[in-house]
Amino acid sequence: MDSAEWAHCKIRRVRSVPPMSRGVMLMSGGIDSPVALYYMLRQRHEMVAVHMDNRPFTDDSPLEKVVDHLRALEGAFGRKVPLYVLPHGPTQITLMRNTDRHVGCVMCRRFMWRSAEKVAERELASFLVTGEALGQVASQTLSNMRSATASVQLPIVRPLIGFDKQEIEAVAKAIGTYGISTRPGLCCQAVPDKPATRTNLVQILQEEERIDVEQILDECVRRAVVM
Amino acid sequence: MGYYSLRLCAGGGAFEAVPSPRLTLHLRQVKGTLESNGIPVVDARVMLIAQLQREVTLSRDGRVLIKTRDNDEASVVFHRLRKLLDLPEVEDRA
Repeated sequence: MDSAEWAHCKIRRVRSVPPMSRGVMLMSGGIDSPVALYYMLRQRHEMVAVHMDNRPFTDDSPLEKVVDHLRALEGAFGRKVPLYVLPHGPTQITLMRNTDRHVGCVMCRRFMWRSAEKVAERELASFLVTGEALGQVASQTLSNMRSATASVQLPIVRPLIGFDKQEIEAVAKAIGTYGISTRPGLCCQAVPDKPATRTNLVQILQEEERIDVEQILDECVRRAVVM
Repeated sequence: MGYYSLRLCAGGGAFEAVPSPRLTLHLRQVKGTLESNGIPVVDARVMLIAQLQREVTLSRDGRVLIKTRDNDEASVVFHRLRKLLDLPEVEDRA
């Protein structure tokens, strides 16, 4: 059975499951998020995608990859997934200028979650979704996930939390998103030299006192583009 | 005296030149030097984006990202930048 047949078979297997609820999915352009989205669509959840546009700290490639991921999955499931593109570069600049660089990845994630929650409010979505798997990168340690997600109230679904990298890659290849994810692109230049792998919420909240969180968030959401 | 290593970045879309030990670039001064040599520079406040043969970003900690996937082209661009800004040499640690 080739990849397309495998994916089709998996999709067909769950056709009888009734539609569930509406969620907002954070899409990065990497390998994990389209796989997580695949599982949510397979369960017939109604999904809205959010991409945090990190230019000028990356190039155009993450956004192009997200658009192609959605095209591939929409084709497989025959359903449209709206995409919100939110400017994250200005937020990164504020964080880099005003807060401790060591905890920059967690601070960045907190704004991503907050932005996704704002989109969820607008879209009447009841949960957030991410492609995080425990311990894969610096921002995905348990303490960092705790520090990052404490910024939002909605429940967070992580379909890949117990997967290892090889398992995620195998599914990505089977559903046809792996080739898109692995196209060359710029690494994030806002990542600090030595990102913190263990953070505590008190420290993060102290850092956030140096910036106007609501103003940054309002500006980010106000400039969102829906595709 | 430090050195730079030049390598393909993790995403594979550009070459990065990483100083060891880390430097502190005075971005305002760097911007002035580049502009006085006719190189257009955008000041993103925490980093500079300069247009040499290829787009280049310079961070405060001395990291340089050259937006090409061609090793030879990246070397040429970095060599020019190094001369302009009096940056340390690239050391081949292989």
